[in-house]
Formats: sequence, structure tokens, C-alpha cells
Amino acid sequence: MNTLVLLLLIFFGGGLLTYLAYKISKVVGDILIAILGLAGAYVFFTVSSQTSLTFSLGGFTLGLGFSEYSWIFGLLLSILAPLALIYSIPYMKGHDRLEWFYMLFLFVIGGMFGILMAKDWVTLFIFWEIMTWSSYLIILYSRKKGLDKIGLKYIFFSAIGAYSLLTAIVVIGGTMRTLSIAETISLFGVLPLKAQLLIGILLITGFGVKAAVMPLHVWAPDAYTNTPMSFSAIFSGAMSKMGIYGLGLVVVNMYLNHGIGSVGHWLAWFGAFTALFGTFYAVVQDDARKLLAWSSVAQLGYIVTGIGIGTKLAVFAALYLALLHGLFKGTLFMAIGAVERQAGTTKFSELRALIRKMPYTFLSALIAIIALAGIPPLAGFVGKWMLYESLITSGHYWVVIFLFFASTAGFLYSYRFLFGVFLGQEEDDYKDVKEAPALMTLPMLLLALVLIVLGTLPGFIFKPLAYSMQGLGFTDISYHMSVLTNSWGNSVSLPYISWTLATVFVLFLIVITWVNHKGTHNVSTKDIHTAGEPPSEEDNYHFALDFYKPFMRSIAPVFKYSITRIYNAIGRGIEDFFEYVRRFYTGNAQTYALYVIIFFAILLLLANQIF
Amino acid sequence: MTFWQILGIALLTILIAFITGLFYMGIRRKVIARVQNRYGPPVYQNFLDVMKLWSKDSNIHHGIMQHLAPLWMISMSIATLLFVPIAYKSHFWTNFTFNGDLILLLYLMVFGSLGFALGVGQTGNPNSAIGVSRGLTQLVGYELPWVIALIAVMIQYKTTSLTDLVAFQQQHHTWIAFQQPFAFLAAFLLIPAMFHYSPYDVIVAPAELASGPISEFGGKYLGLMMSSSSIFMFAKLALFVDIFLGGAQNWLWMIIKTLTLYMWPVLWSAISPRYRTEQSIWSVWKWPLILSVLGLIIASV
Repeated sequence: MNTLVLLLLIFFGGGLLTYLAYKISKVVGDILIAILGLAGAYVFFTVSSQTSLTFSLGGFTLGLGFSEYSWIFGLLLSILAPLALIYSIPYMKGHDRLEWFYMLFLFVIGGMFGILMAKDWVTLFIFWEIMTWSSYLIILYSRKKGLDKIGLKYIFFSAIGAYSLLTAIVVIGGTMRTLSIAETISLFGVLPLKAQLLIGILLITGFGVKAAVMPLHVWAPDAYTNTPMSFSAIFSGAMSKMGIYGLGLVVVNMYLNHGIGSVGHWLAWFGAFTALFGTFYAVVQDDARKLLAWSSVAQLGYIVTGIGIGTKLAVFAALYLALLHGLFKGTLFMAIGAVERQAGTTKFSELRALIRKMPYTFLSALIAIIALAGIPPLAGFVGKWMLYESLITSGHYWVVIFLFFASTAGFLYSYRFLFGVFLGQEEDDYKDVKEAPALMTLPMLLLALVLIVLGTLPGFIFKPLAYSMQGLGFTDISYHMSVLTNSWGNSVSLPYISWTLATVFVLFLIVITWVNHKGTHNVSTKDIHTAGEPPSEEDNYHFALDFYKPFMRSIAPVFKYSITRIYNAIGRGIEDFFEYVRRFYTGNAQTYALYVIIFFAILLLLANQIF
Repeated sequence: MTFWQILGIALLTILIAFITGLFYMGIRRKVIARVQNRYGPPVYQNFLDVMKLWSKDSNIHHGIMQHLAPLWMISMSIATLLFVPIAYKSHFWTNFTFNGDLILLLYLMVFGSLGFALGVGQTGNPNSAIGVSRGLTQLVGYELPWVIALIAVMIQYKTTSLTDLVAFQQQHHTWIAFQQPFAFLAAFLLIPAMFHYSPYDVIVAPAELASGPISEFGGKYLGLMMSSSSIFMFAKLALFVDIFLGGAQNWLWMIIKTLTLYMWPVLWSAISPRYRTEQSIWSVWKWPLILSVLGLIIASV
């Protein structure tokens, strides 16, 4: 059997099978999803870029097959998906309707693989919708109060994206007489500028929704927060990258390779704003999940900026960051999921001092946060360095200032996350909290290990990245196992950093542990210096509320205008409008058919006008 | 050079920076005392302090992260020092300067404070946590004009490497401070904030936060902190001298230039009362920001 079909079968057929398996017994279902996840990853690695499949439908040739460019996203997915599924088994234990959850979960993964292997727009769109609708149903899965609104917000923005994509596909089919992605890209140069802009902007809107680019990000924080955390790891870690995948196709392959750079530069600015404001919102959150969700929006901003700038190093950095964001945000969502399961809450105002109770979760969260903050010697620094250097050397220093500012402010929420959940004064309420089961900690620790290794030896990931850069039309990509170089010829040698830091750290660890170890002892977090007023048993001096008040006071003017408020104002207007529009919904199927015909007639008229 | 030679030179560099840094701190105490019309402790007082702290009988900590806290600082200080060029003419003192650049140093320099902040978080002292919150806020504040000033320098000389900047200044017998005066002035105004000296001492704020983050640290932990901050202080000053003040041909020049530069935040702190946190941010977002943006505009046209 064709391995591509097998891969799709594993997730779609497997999804249906899982439904049945969970109906029979939960244990059978648990074993089945772990096997399916691992089998999917295994099959993905056996697929070569030559494997393809074509069939024709209604005069158009449709096809499946990974391209050089999409392979790297498949790599991320096949690392993250099995780990998230395995993590999910203990995490979701005790929930009901698991058969629905896992079926949809597998459909989402299958949909993403389908998007990546689509060789034409129609296949891409079909899988895109499968992914969107399955994830929408997962948002509704937990049946919490207020979820219908969050789901509606998600599906509304997804619908905007879907209609943009569909319109773009219609225009592509109409003007170029092809639906193949590769042919669209190669023929793109001959189109008139108007058509180029129309197609591109529609596609960017379509993909931008999933990549949570401002101002299309509004759905993301709530949606990432309100799904089970095992799915959020995929939702934020991998699904948002489908948007990035599409943006890369449009901005680099279509525009840049045909000499239009300005659209990308606009997009880069959108990305920079997303990074900055996403960070600001992440800083003020009280819910750790929401903090991570906003931080995802911010991190996606960096990636979008890199794609938009479009120089070799910038795109390379963006793809690297896209991969990396999947890894560390996957880890973080898993970590907070473990906290949620063990301690029962994710609010900073309630949680405190879990470090002794959940040391492995803390360790993996710590490593992921260091990678997120971009601090050497972990993997995040590599991506940040490449992105900044590419922006500085290509003359985009105003953008780089935005990003720098955003990532410095990122330290605030990075610290807040670790401090709020794991550090601070211990509280008796959490005395009996235990570490999460091994099936949950192991995936996190594995991902954390990858982040450590890539910090010194990013060459492991540079190799497949350089390969997929070829799919974007970049040639002779040179890279080194552990040395980064910018286009001015300045370089950074990573082993020097990591070895110096590690050597000094270990050396002084021995010294400080050894010196006077008999006189060194551990005291409780209540035994502190508070000017002669030690806290009593029932007092807790943990500092959690309004943690960054001075920061908020400093940047208060920015917060007066939030995009959600603008949308709400527009929304109120639209509601009135729809009250009026409702009269068109007669309930008569023939009237609806008439509307469809009118719509196509208008579309045809417009198409003649434009082209 | 063999591995052992490199190691020996690195150790020597660290030792000299450590001693110099401790003397600078002693000089600072003396200068502030004289400004306030006191006699002040001897300049070698800090050596005595470090020795005393290391030989304390009893040391307490609140958990593993606090135990590790000074280690992040010391590894960051030493790594930073080894990536900063000290003596231009000599091939002897290169250390790792050819293997890093400015962006690396920018990120490396927060490694220690963030790791330390985690240790501070574990102590459970609310004053310490408030100190961290203020410190990170302040970091966001001064990092913005500082980065803009550095980018102005980078694009003017088309390099991100510190060794290239030093080589340029030494070969042309000039200082970037004269060639890019706006960026220099911006960075110069930021030095008190980067040293967290008064009026920017909102983190330790002895009168309200009881020394803030370091209040739970004592004995060997505080001793290691002092050692590392003396090294880091010298590294920061050397970095500034390398970027704006022409670098140095040898250790002597480096010490002369850094000590002179160091007098600016010291004297300024001696006569300034403390800002509130948001004031300290607004003050660096005023003149330093305006000047650095001017510098960037000039460098980019």
C-alpha cells in the first residue's frame, strides 16, 4: 500500500477504530491510541519525498505527497503527536466521552498530515476543514460554562479564514486553470499584479488565522486555554504551524521568489506587533494556561516576522523557531496539564511552591522556559540569535527593536510562570500533592532533553531544515553543527558558551556544597527574615496578586486600546445588522438556492471586473 | 595555544577581574563615604567581607533552587568576562572573544539574574519576590534604549562582533563615543540603571524591601554572590569601554578607563535619592531613548 494512504489511514481509520475501542474498554482504547501515535510517526519516517499519489477529479489532477518544505513540519508533528497522545492517557483518565475526544484528536493529527501532503489546493482545503472542525468539537468537548462563546469565536475566525482560502482557490482555478500548488507557484509570476495581490492577501488571511497573526489572533488565547492540555500541546505546538506553513508558501514561494518583497515586510510588521502585544497580555494573566496561550501568540509573531522578512537567514530562523516553539510550548502545556491534574488549579493566585512536590515537572518546565526566553545555552537562543542577526544585517532594525523589546518583556512572564506555580512560600493546602505519573513526566523530560541538546548542537536540526529550505527556493544553504554565522561574517560558537557555563556551574556547585556542608541546613519557607515579624502557621506571605504592578503602571497607556474591545464594538454593530439580515432566512430551501446562484453571479461579475 | 595555556590565561583573567572588581567596590564605599563627609571603610574592606562570609559557621537555604542561585550568577559572570576583549594588542588575553558577539552578550548577561531570581523565588520571602518583580521591570526598561544604541553602533560599523569594534577603534585611533555620540550618550546615561545604583536602586531598596532579593542569602551564598558581582561589574565596565571608549591596549589602560567610567554611576548615586519603579522606567525611556533613536536614525541614513 502507498505509505501516504497508510499514514492517513492510521489517523482517520484509527480514529474510527479508537471510537469503537473505547466503547469496548478504556484499556484497549488507551493502548490503541499509543500504538497509533507511534505507528504514525514510524510510517512518516519511512515516507520519502518521492512517494506520491495522483488521481483526477472533475478535470483537475489532485495529488498527495510531501514536499521538501512540508517535510519539516511533518517532522515536528511526528515528534509531538505520539508524545502528546501518550501523555494524554493518564491525563485524561477518569473523563467521560473519551471515545469522542480521541477520535477527534486523531482526526486533527490526520488532518494536519493531510495538509502537509496535499499537492493541490482542493485537498489542502478539505484537510484544513477536517482539522478546523475536529478542533472546534474538541473545544466544546469539556462542556464547561461559557465554552459555547469561545467555540463560536474560534469557528467564526476559522470561517473567515476558510472563506478567504476558498475564494483564493476559486480565483487561482479561474485565472491559472490549475489547482496544483507547485504549478500555482511557478505560474504566479505571469499574473497581473492585481491578481497576485488578491490571491496572496486572501491566502495570507486564510493562513494567518491559524497562525494567530494580529488582528486575527482573538480566538487563540481562549481556545488554547480551554481544551484539555494534552490537546493544547498539539493545538498551540503543531496546529498553529499549519498557518506558518501556508504563510511560507505564499510569502516566500509566491511573492519573494517573483520579486515582490513588500507584502512580506508588511506581514513582518504585523508579526512584530503580535509579538509585542501578545507578550504584554501574557504578563498580566493570572491563569498559567492563559499565560502560555498568550505567549504562543507572541512566539508565533516572531516566526511570522522571520517568514515575512524573507532573507535566507530570516526564513531559516523562522522555521527553526517554528519547530522549537512546538517543542517547548508542547512541554509547557504538558507541564501545566500535570499541575492541573495533580493540584487541581492553574491559577497563580492559588498555586504555590510545588517544586518539592513535582520536581520532574518543574525541571522540564524550567528547561522549556529557558528555551522560550532564548537564553543561552539552550536551543531557544539559537533561533533568537539567527532571527535578530538576520534582521539587523538586512536593515530591518526597527522591527528588531520591537522583537527585542518583546522578548525582554518575555522574561517577565517566563519568570512569573515558574515562580507562580513552583516557587514561593509553601502552603498546607498542597501538602499532599504528588508528582504526575511517569507516562506524563517522561514525554516532557524527553522534549526537554531535545531542547538541551539543540542548544549546543543545533546542527542536528539544521540538516533537515536546510533540506526543506530548498523547497522554498533557497539554494546553497550552508550550516555548521555548532557555529552560527550571519551575512556580515560574524559568528558565535555555541560549545564555548555551553561548556564555559556548564564547567563553572558544576565546579562551583561542588565548592558550595562541599564548603562547610555540616553547617549548611535547609529551613522551611516560613523561616524568613521579615523584620522581626515571622509569619505564623496560618499566614502565607506568597506574593502572587498583581505581580507586575510596576510594569503595568509603566505601560498603562498601551492597554487603553485592546483589539478585543474594537471587535466588540464592531460586533455590536454587526449584531444589529444581522437582526436585519435574519429576514432573508425564510426557511425555504428554494430561496436559499436562489441566494447561492446570486452569490455566484456576483462573484462572476466581480471576477470579470478584476481580471 | 594548548588547552592548559588557554585554561591558565582564563583563570588569570578571572582572578585579576575578581581582585579589581573588589577594589572598585571598596573605592565606591570610600568615595560615597567622603561625599557624605564620613571617613569610610578601608578600600580592601570587601576582601575581608568575602573572607568572613566564606568562613561563616552556619549557612541556611530554603531549597535546591536557592542552593543553586549564586551558581547561575558566577557562571554568567565568568562566561561574560571571557567573551569581552581585554587587551587589543596582546594575543595572550584573547580568551573566547572571537567566538561570541554582542547579541550573545546581551542574552548571556540576563542568564545569571534570571537564574538567581528563581533561587530568590524559592526563599518564600515576599520582599525578595517584590524585588524580583521590580528588577525584571527595570530590565525591560533600560534594555530598550540600550539595545537601540547597540544596534546603531552595529549598523554603523556593519559588524556585531566586539573584537571588530575594538580593532576598528584601535586602528583608526578613535573612539566610537566621538563617531556615534548619540548612542554613546544614551548608553552613558543608562549606566547607573544597569548597575542598579541609586537613583535606580529600586530592587534592593534597603529602606522598604530590606535588601530585596538578597535578604535571605547569607554566609557562603552571599560570599559567592559578592565574588561573582565583582567579576560581573568589571566585565560590564570592560564591555562598555570596548564598545564606546576605544577598548584598551593592555590591562593597565583597561583598568584606568574602567575605573574612570565607574566613577560616573558612583558619584551620581552618592547624591541621588531613589526613584519609584515606574519613575525609574520613565526616566530611561525619556532622554536615553530619544538619544538612542537619534543615533539609530543617524547611523541608518
